[in-house]
Amino acid sequence: MNTAMTRERLEEILDQALQDVTERTAGVRLHQGDQPLGEDLCTVHITFDKGFSTSLTLCADTSLLARMAGNSFHEETVTPEDLEEFSKEYLNVLCGKVAGAMFQATQVSAHFGQPVFYHGRYEPEGQEAQFVLTYSDEHSKGAQLIHHVACSQGSGAAGREEIQ
Amino acid sequence: MSKRVMVVDDSRLVRVQLEDVLKGTEYEVAAYCRSGEEAIEQYGVVKPDLVTMDIIMRGMDGLDAAEIILKNNPDARIVMISSLAYGDTFERAKAIGTKGFVEKPFHQEQLVRVFGQALL
Repeated sequence: MNTAMTRERLEEILDQALQDVTERTAGVRLHQGDQPLGEDLCTVHITFDKGFSTSLTLCADTSLLARMAGNSFHEETVTPEDLEEFSKEYLNVLCGKVAGAMFQATQVSAHFGQPVFYHGRYEPEGQEAQFVLTYSDEHSKGAQLIHHVACSQGSGAAGREEIQ
Repeated sequence: MSKRVMVVDDSRLVRVQLEDVLKGTEYEVAAYCRSGEEAIEQYGVVKPDLVTMDIIMRGMDGLDAAEIILKNNPDARIVMISSLAYGDTFERAKAIGTKGFVEKPFHQEQLVRVFGQALL
């Protein structure tokens, strides 16, 4: 079975999924750009544990995630628990969209684990960033969606496993 | 009379979203469980008309929980609401006997349609 997917195609899938899920879940429009992130950051991370040996990391300005969480919970101010809960569910839904699109393209069912939330920036051990998509909102708050692969996979096709 | 829905999802956000989209419909959120284990325990107490079940949760996953609820309560109406709406997950949900599958993020029209079909 051919499970290869080019990096460009994967970038396109990730971008479409992020734009769609962000608008529908949090009512916020993000656009790609080169906005640098601020210093107050949160990171949420998911590992694909079947089908594709990769992981996705969303690192964003805390104020952006807090605004998205506030919109979703209909609250003007959000608690740290709300922020964590929103961030995890947001990346969970985003990964579902991505995995669904990957299934359409490759017929490989990708499964992923529980999202993990961190204050600050988090770099998964034993993995390296294959590419980074950078976004900002209308208030110039930024987010980065980072596709990580195992260190030896560095470039080329998008971190697939060989399926017999 | 409103149809009573038991929501099973480890994210409180999903409960808030479901309460939002079910406003003004014939459905109301009657109970909320944050795990598959809690759903199995609460099903007989709540006796909902319909259960919505997430898949990826801490502890038992939603497919295993749905299978146990349906084994103990063959008339249970369970709709999966998950971001994993494809491939083997979708097939297993059908094989277990769940009544529908809604992909996250969901919207009102889609939910009400699937809920209606599940209750036929």
